[in-house]
Amino acid sequence: MPVKNLLMPKTSKNRRSSLPRRVFWVVLALALLAAGTLPAAAAPPQSYESLRLITEALHEINQKYVWQKGEGEMMHGALRGMMNSLDPDSSFLTPKEYQEFQAGEKALPAEAGMELVFKDHLLTVVSVLDEGPAFRAGIRPGDHILKIDGQTMRNITTQEGVRRFQGKPGTVLKLQVLRNGLVKPLDLTLTLEPLGPGRITSQIFKDSYAYLRVPFFTDETPGQLADAVKKLVHRQPPLRGLILDLRNNARGTMEQAVRSASVLLGDREIVSTRGRQGDGERSYRGKERELALKPPLPLVVLIDQGTARGAEIMAGALRYHSRGQLLGAKSFGLCGITNVLPLNDGSALMMTVAHCYTPGGQKITGKGLEPDVAGQKPEGEKPPTPSSRTLPPDQDPWVLQAVELLKTGKTALSVKSSPAP
Amino acid sequence: MDRKMLNRSRLWLIIPILLGLLLLLSQAPVITGSSADSASPPPPGQAVSKVAPVPLTPANDANLQVFAQALDLVGHNYVDAKTTKDLVYGSIQGVVSTLDPHSSFMNPDEFKELQIETKGKFSGIGIEITLKDRVLTVVSPIEGTPAYRAGLRAGDQILKINGTSTKNLPLTEAVKMIRGPKGSKVILTINRQGFTQPKDFSIVREIIPIRSVKARILDDGIGYIRLANFQDQTDNDLKNYLKKMRQRLVPFKGLILDLRNDPGGLLEQAVQVADEFLHSGLIVYTQGRNPQQSMRFYARQGQEGERPAFPLIVLINEGSASASEIVAGALKDQKRALIVGSKSFGKGSVQTIIPLEDGSALRLTTALYYTPSGQTIQDKGIIPDIIVKEPDIPEDKTVEKLREEALDRHMRKEGITDKAWDQPLTANDLNQDPVLKQAVDLLRHWPPKNLAQQGQPPS
Repeated sequence: MPVKNLLMPKTSKNRRSSLPRRVFWVVLALALLAAGTLPAAAAPPQSYESLRLITEALHEINQKYVWQKGEGEMMHGALRGMMNSLDPDSSFLTPKEYQEFQAGEKALPAEAGMELVFKDHLLTVVSVLDEGPAFRAGIRPGDHILKIDGQTMRNITTQEGVRRFQGKPGTVLKLQVLRNGLVKPLDLTLTLEPLGPGRITSQIFKDSYAYLRVPFFTDETPGQLADAVKKLVHRQPPLRGLILDLRNNARGTMEQAVRSASVLLGDREIVSTRGRQGDGERSYRGKERELALKPPLPLVVLIDQGTARGAEIMAGALRYHSRGQLLGAKSFGLCGITNVLPLNDGSALMMTVAHCYTPGGQKITGKGLEPDVAGQKPEGEKPPTPSSRTLPPDQDPWVLQAVELLKTGKTALSVKSSPAP
Repeated sequence: MDRKMLNRSRLWLIIPILLGLLLLLSQAPVITGSSADSASPPPPGQAVSKVAPVPLTPANDANLQVFAQALDLVGHNYVDAKTTKDLVYGSIQGVVSTLDPHSSFMNPDEFKELQIETKGKFSGIGIEITLKDRVLTVVSPIEGTPAYRAGLRAGDQILKINGTSTKNLPLTEAVKMIRGPKGSKVILTINRQGFTQPKDFSIVREIIPIRSVKARILDDGIGYIRLANFQDQTDNDLKNYLKKMRQRLVPFKGLILDLRNDPGGLLEQAVQVADEFLHSGLIVYTQGRNPQQSMRFYARQGQEGERPAFPLIVLINEGSASASEIVAGALKDQKRALIVGSKSFGKGSVQTIIPLEDGSALRLTTALYYTPSGQTIQDKGIIPDIIVKEPDIPEDKTVEKLREEALDRHMRKEGITDKAWDQPLTANDLNQDPVLKQAVDLLRHWPPKNLAQQGQPPS
């Protein structure tokens, strides 16, 4: 049989002698020892086998790939691929990226106003900030960014993807975007802008129900939330319920989320983290003096596929302590503690070392939170897009549904606190 | 392929081994013999002892140390336990994605599936299945297969496979369960419109050929052959249809070879298909960094479609890639066929599948190919002699909608190639497909009066 060359597929049995492989094996064993990271006894035989496999792959590419490829570039590709196969928060940092990381992340003056992850080999939009540059460019949560300025986004990391959308104000990016269900990719143009402060907005419906929107978390969010809540609880006539909108909110640290939840929950457990063998277990609690929602009010929390990180922590805690029912769609499931571990050549690995759990012990990372009440689908087949959120809240179908839920009194708190008539 | 070609190929298998040995002997070992021995005694029957590593340069060695360190750090610190194999698969995936988009890594399962596809046959019962409204549904039984003989029909719902419910069963799993060794039995529980209750069908598995070639004819002596891809059986099947058509259609007024949406396949099959219509001259040549990847392929005499040289039209569109482009390119350069349709995809590279030792494999771009006139196809594609645009897809149609519609048509046997080859295409069929209709018109008024309209959309 001739060399089975293909344009699509075919096998060519590789007839390299087993000699070089055997030799690789030796080198690798030594490499391991030399690296000094593994006590020889602890290295399971399967890891030698696997090392042999990557060596074989690298060798084949080195010999047969149509263009010459640098070894360093291939190795960085390998490490990036390894980290990308773990979860969207785990990344490989090149020596330069690691140096920048150590120097402290400089907030670049302008950005796109969206959250991204690299997941299943695609750069995917988790959430789009209300009325931000990405929103106005037509980007929607769930979109996949295929190209930026003609460059294909392959095997990059979440961090890198985020960095590509930061720069000088006025920078114009040409994007090719794949939207689920559409036949052709969309061409969109986006202009980077400095991001506003992300203020909490509030509105009162029919004098009895309040609506609070947290677009994303900053260090100021807990204080702003406390102020907003204090104003609401002192209203006359007293409010009968509160709607907290955490949809399309994927930006927030654990600390910001814990302090914000503290405003509504006080001295209660908000979230806990746990590593591989239960190590690194830590619980995070609110503070009684930060509690602003006194007395408690029936609460509905709106979540959707763009709800992630801090917002998920907050939603999970509110549900557990029966302060709120979750209404909407399943959240994204991004929450974890990452560590950065340096490698000998100056590069580093950023990896998730602990998962987040709601106070009830439910894992958030990778799973997301299921809503208690599914958001109604509007007429037609399309799920609510952020464009429907340019509607004022009092016309937003899920907000109206939340008001109904509060009115019928079927929220957790009212069920619990109202004794049988 | 001529004799020279074959010799050359056989050589290919020998040279790498010799080269490998030469390298081993000529380059200096990096690591001393004694420590190598202590780390790994040579296995019995293998003369490894004095020879030391080589393809690894010192830089490579340092890189591997970092890689081993990374494996270890992830193994010990990552929040979930991961097998080293998974990590290495992820890594190889990562290396490959620094290459061109046509290079990829296949895990052992994916590699096995690929082998089935390219061999053009597998052992099963002969049905195409899909998930329709989340129910496992028969798209169509393939004629002449056990499923066809057992009486399965398009639209049948498969509720159970060997008693196991198919609810929430992924399609790939269902395929795996229905396939099995030749001679073994599978029981499908089928729900069909008109059944009062689901019925069991017991079917014995056989070797099922996958057909990549479909054909139809037109009343007035014109043949139509469509290639879905290029696998082991393609040229054979094409040859058979050609033979049958030329017996049935007298006089034979011409052939339309439809390569639209044909993503390609085996290089050797592309060469053989082009050869079917050519009696001499270059078909294609390849060039790689590695000299073994540079080859020239010539046409031989005495093929089915050569004499008498009937008019030939090749249909292409932006879904016609690689092997399709080789065929279209050779037939265009040698002025054997008129190319009709829209510009082809533009994939001018050859991939070689390289199995790795654990059953996984690399699909690696090893060469670029060029049409006889020395044109690369990469990014340029084949420009048709006569450009005919396909009707635009409405912007708001989703992929799923389009797929559903195509599936429904197929299940009602309304697609152009869903009927027996010797049933003539109707005027209605042609109206469904404006590009095909144009090709038929050209053949009916052959030779085309004015090829000066090249590049102009016909009115």
